Amino acid sequence: MATVTLQNICKSYDKRDVVHDVSLTIEDKEFMVLVGPSGCGKSTTLRMIAGLEDITSGQLMIDGHDVTHAAPQKRDIAMVFQSYALYPHMTAYRNMAFGLQKTTSLSKTEIDGRIREAAEILNITDLLDRRPKELSGGERQRVAIGRALVRQPKVFLFDEPLSNLDAKLRNRMRGELKRLHRELGLTVVYVTHDQIEAMTLGTRVAMMSSGRLQQVGAPMDIYMNPANTFVATFIGSPEMGLVPCKADASGLLSHAAFGKGVNIDRAGLPGDVILGVRAEEVTLSSGAGMARGLVERTELIGAEALLEVALGNERITVRGAVAGAPEPGAEVGLDFDLSRVRLFHGGTGHAIALQD
Amino acid sequence: MDNAVNMVSATRALPLSSRVARWFSKSWKHFILTPLVLLWLSPMIWIVLTSLKTKVEVFDPDAGILPAVLNFGNYPATLSVAPFGTYLLNSVLVTGSILIAQLVTITLAAYAFARLEFPLKRLLFSLFLLQVMFPIYAIFLTNFVTLREFGLINTLPAMIVPFVASGYGTFMLRQAFRQVPSELSDAARLDGCGHLGILWHVYLPLVQPTLIAFGIISVVTHWNDYMWPLLVTNSDSVRTLPIGLGLLAKSDSGADWTRLMAGTTLVVSPLLLVFVIFQRRFIDSFMHTGVK
Amino acid sequence: MSHSFAQVWRKEVLLAYALLLPSAVFLAVFTYWPILRSFWFSLHDVMLGDSRIFWLGAENYLRLLDDGLFWKVLGNTAFYTLTTIPLSITVALLLAVALDSKLRGMSIYRSAFFYPVMIPSVAAGMVWVFLYAPGYGPINSALEFLGLPRLDWLYDSAWALPAIVLMSIWKYSGYFMLILLAALKLVPSDLYEAARLDGVGPVSRLLHITVPLISPTLYFVIVIGLLHSYQIFDYVYVMTQGGPADSTNVLTFYIYQNGFQYQDIGYASTIANTLLVFVLGLIGLVALTLGRRVHYMGER
Repeated sequence: MATVTLQNICKSYDKRDVVHDVSLTIEDKEFMVLVGPSGCGKSTTLRMIAGLEDITSGQLMIDGHDVTHAAPQKRDIAMVFQSYALYPHMTAYRNMAFGLQKTTSLSKTEIDGRIREAAEILNITDLLDRRPKELSGGERQRVAIGRALVRQPKVFLFDEPLSNLDAKLRNRMRGELKRLHRELGLTVVYVTHDQIEAMTLGTRVAMMSSGRLQQVGAPMDIYMNPANTFVATFIGSPEMGLVPCKADASGLLSHAAFGKGVNIDRAGLPGDVILGVRAEEVTLSSGAGMARGLVERTELIGAEALLEVALGNERITVRGAVAGAPEPGAEVGLDFDLSRVRLFHGGTGHAIALQD
Repeated sequence: MDNAVNMVSATRALPLSSRVARWFSKSWKHFILTPLVLLWLSPMIWIVLTSLKTKVEVFDPDAGILPAVLNFGNYPATLSVAPFGTYLLNSVLVTGSILIAQLVTITLAAYAFARLEFPLKRLLFSLFLLQVMFPIYAIFLTNFVTLREFGLINTLPAMIVPFVASGYGTFMLRQAFRQVPSELSDAARLDGCGHLGILWHVYLPLVQPTLIAFGIISVVTHWNDYMWPLLVTNSDSVRTLPIGLGLLAKSDSGADWTRLMAGTTLVVSPLLLVFVIFQRRFIDSFMHTGVK
Repeated sequence: MSHSFAQVWRKEVLLAYALLLPSAVFLAVFTYWPILRSFWFSLHDVMLGDSRIFWLGAENYLRLLDDGLFWKVLGNTAFYTLTTIPLSITVALLLAVALDSKLRGMSIYRSAFFYPVMIPSVAAGMVWVFLYAPGYGPINSALEFLGLPRLDWLYDSAWALPAIVLMSIWKYSGYFMLILLAALKLVPSDLYEAARLDGVGPVSRLLHITVPLISPTLYFVIVIGLLHSYQIFDYVYVMTQGGPADSTNVLTFYIYQNGFQYQDIGYASTIANTLLVFVLGLIGLVALTLGRRVHYMGER
């Protein structure tokens, strides 16, 4: 059992809040991804879990023990860094052995056993005698993961570990990490700014922005039901289209491009709302459609076409068939899938619950 | 490929005069540099040649530059008039102690300046840096008085203690420490290292080139030091090589150049020999004292 | 909560001071205490080896103003500094430019110009006494061979100090050359190529491209040169003992004479303070005049 519990964690430098009141529980064997734009506080949060940053206020528990002010090596965690942080003057083997020698009383043969085992899993047995300089980016990455594995910690912390790899290798390592997590039953906290990594790796995703936790949930849940406009636009590619409009008492949305209006059939909406539409929730209409817009860009990406359509000042993306995709400049009618679209509060940007 | 072959044969086909011109345009620098190098080397050549001459040859205007017969007798003669073995040992002890002490003090101080936050950091750092402006030549008088009060005059420590702290070394090493990525010290903290552990296991191995460069400069400086050891020593048992050499000159009152030059050869050769062997390292070390 | 953060911080501060302590103790006792003490001594009548001390006030400084020899010594020091540094840096710069290319025998050239730095000042001084010897010295033989008049060098009050300057150029320009060479290697070669295409000749390439681009290093070399110029004490002590007729007497040597030969620590301290002011003044002057005009590569 290795749960990590963050209770009202705050971090400030010189009175400036970097992380504000974050409460989050990471369950045993869970792959938790902290995602958000750069400077959102996700790395600071991870470093506080690691013990590399002091926690200004709040409480941190690992496996039921209060480790808020414990030294990093007393927390039973291991970390993989963005730049891998392998010691340049030590071989891969020594890199992996170093922490074990310092933090445990394991014998030489036990340490050797652990290293061989981890090397086997990661396929780096042949590289153990090499120094980081003699390894490729992907190989360094594996050694760095190996250094964490041999520690057999309660929690693995990853700080943007794939961002220094090229696209192809990143894909492969993503699969590899997923396999390791599944096969070894690891508890992972993983920081990234890449929403695709977050969606594909996480069993749960915690979205952060300007030092605050925005939403925590399963990737698909966040994708379908973002808690606010910020999460809505950050998660998912292509980006969700947001159309501010006026709502009347009966739930009729009006916007310059909507013609007769779009009826959401819901009472008690605020006057200003934002309609959130993903590309797959809107289709080209054969007739007049619920809304009319101007195609600004047509991207043929193989299996399908992505159309950027202007509705007045707003732009939304529409997924369509390649065959007969309209040219830029064409006027098109659009139909929204009203059972899937969502509304946000015009002032606060918070989601408005549509299903009861 | 074809073009290259054509070019080569074209060069071959050129008339001799333009081939000479071409060669000259490439190597004219050698025609200026070679005489300059000889000029620069001539004092050293003169030292060695004179040490192999006889006394008579030195003062004979018709004797020519080269010794008529190689006369190695000046060397044992020099060694017999002064305890060069003791001087050598003292030089090694003094230079070695200064180096070791400096490496310890600058490592600790540089780590504090590079990686720790504390009040008065800027002021203290300026005081360290400013030391460079006050070499022993500027403050020897009061330092002499201080050491006299400590009762250290005419001891080996007297030649060591003023140089234990090095503002320059602290600065050099701090710059090197700051180049070490902070993620490495983070990783070391997770691997169970405290500040001193990080310093020992991560920083020091990574700044070895800087340590060696500083070591070379320190050894050259203090091995050759003259003024301070001259002031604080007054007996053979604590004198260093340069002082011994200076003494030899005084006792010979400038007349016995052959013996003096043999002594000079003996004194300059250890360092020059090391320099010739590790030439690249020495050159690199001094080359990068100016570039941060 | 924040209480324990303060504890962590305090621990770091304590560690920092502990790490600085060894250096700080030696720095305080052997660099800063002497400077303060020297000022204190300069206000007193202090004799070497005598524990008694008498208040004089500004008297030592007034004595300095009336001391004709002091002004001569100060002039000598200024002459040595202001000739040796520009000359050896010019030589160093020319050598560095000549060596800044793929040249056969490069390492031999570099070592040949650099090796004098490795030679102890006392050995260098002695050899040059021999080289300058009026009767049998090879320099005079060479002058005679070239049909030039022989000189008395170290025995001639007009030539003694310039002779030491010449020797200093031999001793130090190799070191400056190395530092400048390292800086030259960082100058992008396309700049030279562009200038060449624009028809800029080698001399103005040196003056208008090379010198401005390496000016931070030149500035640094000037400061290093100032610090090395202290070493003239060794040469004066070995070669001339300040003579003939005090024509090579310089501040460091004059301090030594007053403090150690006449045992007058108070007056010697007064001169030592002047030396500190002299060097700091020169460094300040360099910083103000050149430091401002230094071009930092990559900035603006």
